[in-house]
Amino acid sequence: MRYDCVIIGGGLSGLTCGIRLAETGASVAVISTGMSALHFSSGSIDLFGYNGEGRTVYRPFEFLDEFVGSNPRHPYALCGARQVREALFYFRGQLDLEGIELYNNDESNHFHVTTLGTLKPTFFSQRSVFNEKIRLAFEKKSMIAALNFEGYRDFYPELAVINLRRNVLFRNIEIITGKIVYPDYGDPQRNPFEYRSVDIARIFDTERYLEELAVQIRNAASGAAFAAMPAFLGISNFKRHHKLLQELTGLLIYEIPTLPPSILGMRIDNALKSRFASLGGVYIAGDTVTGGSISGERLESVVTENGGGSALSAGSFVLATGSFFSGGLVSEFSRVREPVLDLKVYSDAERSRWYAPEFFPRRGHPFLEYGVETDERLNPKTGDGRRVKNLYCTGALLPYYNPIKEGSGGGVAVSTGYRAAELILEGNS
Amino acid sequence: MIRLQNISFDHCIKCTVCTVYCPVARATHHFPGPKQSGPDTERLRIKSPELLDESLKYCTNCKRCEIACPSNVKIADIIQSSKWRYFKKSLRPRDFFLAHTDLMGSVATRASLLVNFFIKLPPVKLFLDLFFRIPSERRFPKYARGSFLAWYKKHRAEQEAFAERAVYFPGCYVNYNNHELGKDVVTVLNAMNIGVIVSYEKCCGVPLIANGYIGRARKNALLNINSLAASAAESGARIISASSSCSFALKHEYRNLLELDNSAIFDSLDYITRFIHERFLKGNLPELKPVRLRAAYHSPCHLERMGGVMNTIEVLKKIPGLDLTILHSECCGIAGTYGFKKEYYRVSQKVGAELFKRIERADPQIVITDCETCKWQIEMSTPYRVEHPVTVLARSIDGGKL
Repeated sequence: MRYDCVIIGGGLSGLTCGIRLAETGASVAVISTGMSALHFSSGSIDLFGYNGEGRTVYRPFEFLDEFVGSNPRHPYALCGARQVREALFYFRGQLDLEGIELYNNDESNHFHVTTLGTLKPTFFSQRSVFNEKIRLAFEKKSMIAALNFEGYRDFYPELAVINLRRNVLFRNIEIITGKIVYPDYGDPQRNPFEYRSVDIARIFDTERYLEELAVQIRNAASGAAFAAMPAFLGISNFKRHHKLLQELTGLLIYEIPTLPPSILGMRIDNALKSRFASLGGVYIAGDTVTGGSISGERLESVVTENGGGSALSAGSFVLATGSFFSGGLVSEFSRVREPVLDLKVYSDAERSRWYAPEFFPRRGHPFLEYGVETDERLNPKTGDGRRVKNLYCTGALLPYYNPIKEGSGGGVAVSTGYRAAELILEGNS
Repeated sequence: MIRLQNISFDHCIKCTVCTVYCPVARATHHFPGPKQSGPDTERLRIKSPELLDESLKYCTNCKRCEIACPSNVKIADIIQSSKWRYFKKSLRPRDFFLAHTDLMGSVATRASLLVNFFIKLPPVKLFLDLFFRIPSERRFPKYARGSFLAWYKKHRAEQEAFAERAVYFPGCYVNYNNHELGKDVVTVLNAMNIGVIVSYEKCCGVPLIANGYIGRARKNALLNINSLAASAAESGARIISASSSCSFALKHEYRNLLELDNSAIFDSLDYITRFIHERFLKGNLPELKPVRLRAAYHSPCHLERMGGVMNTIEVLKKIPGLDLTILHSECCGIAGTYGFKKEYYRVSQKVGAELFKRIERADPQIVITDCETCKWQIEMSTPYRVEHPVTVLARSIDGGKL
C-alpha cells in the first residue's frame, strides 16, 4: 500500500499534520496504537505558560519572539515564532469547521481551572472555559458556585474551592459549593459512584434531562453568576447543550476538566478525526508500527503489527508517537530508546540524572526534555548517525523542551505538526 | 494461580478510555464497561472466583476496547476467557443450537425450504421466544439447499487446473446459507487467474467461543489448523477467508484465547480483501465493468481489530461507477449469537442504533460489509440490502445485476 504520507501517531500533532496535508489533496494515512493523550488533556491548547524562572508568561507571542532567539534547539525555534502563530490559528480554523470554537484572550494568555482548583495559563480554550462573557463576569467579581453531581468521584468541589480561595485572583470573590442529583436515569441498582465523566456526558447527550438539570443547577447555584461544573456537558452535541443550559439557567456554565477520560480533550480528538476523515484521510486505529526500512537517506516503508508482513510505503513519513506516556520513547535501565526505528535520542547516559528527587520540581524533571534529536528541518538521524530526509519528527517526541515546566505541550504539538506538513509540501513543490 | 502470559491487565493504567469506546457500555448501564469487567476485576477473580460479577456477560467481544487501549491490554480476551473460566457451562438448548452452527447447518440444509418456511411463522417465533428465549423480532438467515462444498466438488477439477491457487475457508455461512458468496469468491479469483481450493473442516469456532463451548472450539480449531495447513502446503498457496470474524478467529482467537499453536497457518492467512488488494497493486487487476450504484460501507468490529479495513475500501474504490460513502466506524450490535438472545436483544439493537441512523442519513442503494452477522443485523433493522464487497466486485467482473 502506498500513500503520499504516512503519519505514525494519531494525537494532536499527527492529526494537525494530517489535516494540513490532506487538505492539499495528498493521500495521507495516520496509524495509531490506541487512543491519544488528548483523552487525558485539559482540552485547552497551551502556548507558553511559564518562563525559565517559573513565572507566568502573560503575552506568549511577545515572549516567544525573544525566547526562540536564545533557545535555538527548542521546537518553537525550529518552527520560528511566525509559523507558530500561523499554526495555532490554522488549528483554530480547522476546529471551527467541526463546530468546536476556541477562544483566546487576544494576545494574552488566560487561565483555566484544574480539577484541584489550581490555575493554568493557556492560550486557547473552549467556550465553556473562556470567552468574553466569562472574562467580564470574572472581572466584576461575580459569585461562583462550584457544583458536582452527587456521588461523582472524579471531582471534589470543596477541595477545588480551597485552592481557588488561596489564589490572589479570587480574592474578594464569593465561591460556594453545591450538589445536583442524578435525574432518574438507567438502573437504580447501579451506584452513581460508578459513573465516570463519560457516563454523565452521555446523560447530557440524551437531552432528556436538560430541563430538570437546569432547575437543579439554578437552585444549587443560589444566586451565583457562574455555575462551575466538571466537564461533562456532552460529547457530540456540546455546543447546543451548553447554550441551552445557559439559557435555561440564566447562568454562565463553566467547565472544569476532570480525571480521565477528559470530555474536553475528547471533543478536540473527535473534531480532528472527523475533519481528517472528511478530507479523505485514512485513520488506522489499533495498529502499531513495528519497524521500517531505511535505504540511503530515505525511509522507504514501515511495517505494522496487523499488516501481516505487507509494508506501507510513502513519499514522506511523520513520526508523532509522543513521549514516554504514549510509547514514543521507551526507557530501559540505562538508556532511552525510540522504539520504531531506533533513532538517535537526546538523553543522559546516567540514569540518576533523569529525574529530580521531588515529584513536582520547580525546574522540571530532565527526562521530560529527552527525545529524538532532529535538525532544523525536523529530520532525525538513525542510531548510526545517518540523516533520514523524508522523515519528520513532531510533538512530544521532540527534545529540548519541557511541556510541564513551560506549559507548552499543546502548542508544540500543533506547531511542529503543522511545520512538518509545510516542510513536506515545500519539498513536493 | 496467575499464568504469566496472561498478565496484560497489569499494564492497565485505569484511564477508562476503553469504556468510552465500548458500544455496550454506551447502550446500557448494566455493563460497567471493559475496564471494570476486564483488568479491574480480573485481579479479584484470580484471588477468589467468588468475586465474579455477572455483569461481564454483557460483553460482546467486539474488541473495540482493545483498539482504544493506549497500553496494549488485551481487555476483551481477559473478559472472554473469564466468562468460561468462572461461569458454569450453559445448559440452555438455545445456546447449544446457536453455538453449533455446522451441526444445525448440515441438518437444516437437507430441508431448507421447510426450515425457512417454518422459522418465519408467527407461532413458531412465539414458541422460540417463550421456550427458547430467542426474541420473536429476530430474523433468521435463510438456509440454502445443500452445501457449498457439494457445489464445489463438481467444480474442483477446473479449479485445480489453475497454475496459481488459493486455499479458501468458506465458513458455515457460505457453506449452509449463502453459496452465492462462495461462488463470487471463485468468480473474482478466477478472473485474476487464481484457482480456488476449498478447505473446510469445521466451524471456525466463533459461536462456540461466545457460548462457552471451549472444548469443542479447541477441537474444531485443531482440525481447521491441520487441514488448512495441509492444503496450503500441498500447493504452496495463501489461505483466505471472506468472513471477517472467521479470519479473526483463525488468526487471533486460536492463538490468544484458545491458546493453540496456529503458526502453521498464521503467516499465510489473509482476509480476502487484503489478498485481492495486494494483487491489484501488483497489476493483477481484472477488467471491471461499471456498477452504477450508491453504496455505504460499514466496517465490522473484528476487521477493525485485525486491521485491513483499508484493503476493503481500496478494493471497492477500484470498482468503476460505485459511489461509496464510508460510514463512521460503529458496532452494529449483533455480535454473532448475542443478538439472538432475548436477554441481550434490546441492548444489541440499541448498540446498533447509531449505525442504523448513519446508514439512513447516507441513504444508499445498498450497504456493503465484510461480516455476515452485520449483514443480518442491518437488513433486519434498516430497509437496506447488504452485500459483501466480494459480491460487488464479482458483479463488476461478470456484469451481473446487483
